[in-house]
Amino acid sequence: MENKEYIISVFSENQTGVLNRITAVFLRRKINIESLKVSETSIKGISMFTIVASTTEETVGHVVRHIEKIVDVIRAEYQTADEMITQEIALYKIDSSILKNGKLDLVTRKYNARIVEANREYTVVEMTGYRKETEAFRDELEELGLLMQYTRSGTVALHRDSMEETLNGLRSSAGE
Amino acid sequence: MSQLKNITGVEALIDSLLEEHIDTIFGYPGGQVLPIYDGLYKVSDRLTHVLARHEQGAVHAAQGYARATGKVGVCIATSGPGATNLITGITDAMIDSTPLVCITGQVPAGLLGSDAFQEADIISMTMPVTKWNFQVTSAAEIPTAIAKAFYIAKSGRPGPVLIDITKNAQVETTDFEYVPCTGIRSYIVKPPLNTDLTGLAVDMINRAERPLIVFGQGVKLSGAESLLIDFAEKGNIPMASTLMGLSCVPSDHPLYMGMLGMHGNVAPNVLTQEADVLIAIGMRFSDRVTGDLKTYAKQAKVIHIDIDPSEINKNVRVQVGIHADVSDALNEMIPGLVRAGREEWFAKFRQKFEEEYGSVIERDVEPTGEALTMGEVVRNIARRVDGRAVVVTDVGQQQMIAARYSYFRSTRSFITSGGLGTMGYGLPAAVGAKVGVPDRQVVLYTGDGGFQMTLQEMGTMMQYGIGVKIVVLNNEFLGMVRQWQQLFFGRRYSHTEMKNPDFVGIARAYGIPGRRVQTREELEAAIGEMFADDGAYLLEVAVEKEGNVFPMVPAGASISDLLFNE
Ligand SMILES: Cc1ncc(C[n+]2csc(CCOP(=O)(O)OP(=O)(O)O)c2C)c(N)n1
Repeated sequence: MENKEYIISVFSENQTGVLNRITAVFLRRKINIESLKVSETSIKGISMFTIVASTTEETVGHVVRHIEKIVDVIRAEYQTADEMITQEIALYKIDSSILKNGKLDLVTRKYNARIVEANREYTVVEMTGYRKETEAFRDELEELGLLMQYTRSGTVALHRDSMEETLNGLRSSAGE
Repeated sequence: MSQLKNITGVEALIDSLLEEHIDTIFGYPGGQVLPIYDGLYKVSDRLTHVLARHEQGAVHAAQGYARATGKVGVCIATSGPGATNLITGITDAMIDSTPLVCITGQVPAGLLGSDAFQEADIISMTMPVTKWNFQVTSAAEIPTAIAKAFYIAKSGRPGPVLIDITKNAQVETTDFEYVPCTGIRSYIVKPPLNTDLTGLAVDMINRAERPLIVFGQGVKLSGAESLLIDFAEKGNIPMASTLMGLSCVPSDHPLYMGMLGMHGNVAPNVLTQEADVLIAIGMRFSDRVTGDLKTYAKQAKVIHIDIDPSEINKNVRVQVGIHADVSDALNEMIPGLVRAGREEWFAKFRQKFEEEYGSVIERDVEPTGEALTMGEVVRNIARRVDGRAVVVTDVGQQQMIAARYSYFRSTRSFITSGGLGTMGYGLPAAVGAKVGVPDRQVVLYTGDGGFQMTLQEMGTMMQYGIGVKIVVLNNEFLGMVRQWQQLFFGRRYSHTEMKNPDFVGIARAYGIPGRRVQTREELEAAIGEMFADDGAYLLEVAVEKEGNVFPMVPAGASISDLLFNE
């Protein structure tokens, strides 16, 4: 079976140690986590983990079932990237010469990025999009020799379907 | 539910244990559990504490206690080295689904992360080997944490839980109310039974010509021993046990066909490859049971009943996966089963048994050579105790021989480290078992290697008068490793030969009588002497130095490719 990128969504009680238990399931099988994001859901006390990792479908199935065994985990599931709506935010620290050398168009028009902060030395720009897009922008800035620093968030994902049911289930179990 | 005002964390802990009906704990004191030990001093009339000689001894004893009684085993250790000494036992309990609550002391909350004396991050260290763990940093958290700990340890697929209690939480005061835990919303204990699937399984079994039941410890854990027998009898289906399932079914039951696995019986191993329907009940298809998965039971339709959904389709692809408590599933399925004759199928088992008897069993249990064999010792003792003892083993050749040649009349009569294969498990587990079921005979088989890993626990036996019968099968080798060296590494016995001490002398130093035997004539008499009274005894038997355990499925080979001799 071939490796593919999977997005693993985990809903858990907001408890210390759950993150370690979840990442240990990956570590044990020597699967590298490509990105990881933790946040509160719309239900108080319930966290959502969004984990991106490349592996086979068979392995991701085992991983998810093992994560579900964790006492504080309510539900875990996996999807391929195209089954979810995913976005990432990236920040770029760029040499401020960009403001004068006519390349500003690149920022504002081609990549639809937004200036967050600017001073004489550097300019910080923010962009939201698919990873492909944020990375393309990074590569282009790098080629131009303008990129000073770059960082991006983990994948922020929403489900195209079915998730409302899960959330409603959680809401009722949370007694809301 | 009891309520108390203004009591210390230690009192809350002890009251919580009493609320959980705990009367025995195994442990070892130290700085960060001194307040707990002070509390234990005051309740010694209600809560027996057994002082082990090493924390590993305490945790294995708690495991042996749990396995013999079906109750949760409890052990306690101080912070730092005390806590880290528990880890092997916790790991063992995790893989063998043994319910344990381990309580460790911890430095005061204010010192966490400061590298204080005897501070160890036991929560992180035990995370992958506990079902759940939790650090308590205030007295008020104690009752809820303990209630949750017991609930998690024993429910669903049982396992070890660790509660780390900082010293300040032990000494500060709190109001106490004990509410037993009856559910956790994120943790499903008992899945609802899918009766479509059980119906499908029953149809499949009724249409089968050559069905075979393979069962494991899940049957014991579910308390489904008699249901399993009803199930097999109703459908007239042969059944075989994994190492961990031994003693669920009496060894002389006509439908019981023996043990599966690497050193199991020929018939159930080979005929797994001819069954048309394989019914796996409360077992996990360990590689020691399946051999090469690519060739395992390929012809069979597989039905798998397990309470842990992550086991279903983990190693073996199944046609019907029933995520359920074994008792629930069997209860539902039994009425629908239809009896079939299956004469030819049973004849095959008999024929394979005869083959095994002629090629292996006879020479093991009735040897004609001069040297004593492990097999004849085990068989002799099994006859002597008439299958009524709790048999505990260490790890290695003696473990496999004890599993092969002991026989059992009732459940929870075989205690061994199955999944982890922990040498040194035997003696302390036997101690815990005897504490748990003092009216039963407890016989330990151990090797000269494994015995030396934890033999200090004879001190525990001495102090509390724990009457375990220790049988050291001494081949002056790390026998099982030597066997692999002989078979697969050209007889190069690299660092497996052992120069051993006078085991009987060591036992005597602990006040335990014993005898070393070298001949068949002495053996009978020594076994008689061992069982003459209820006290502890050490029987050392000098067995054949280079004896091997057969049949054997070499690692990675197909389950039907058995070795019968060197
Ligand atoms: C803690 C631990 N260390 C190493 C091993 C590897 N091992 C498995 S069996 C065995 C030999 C056991 O020798 P002995 O206790 O003399 O028993 P025998 O096989 O001779 O019956 C060894 C070293 C193990 N299972 N556990």
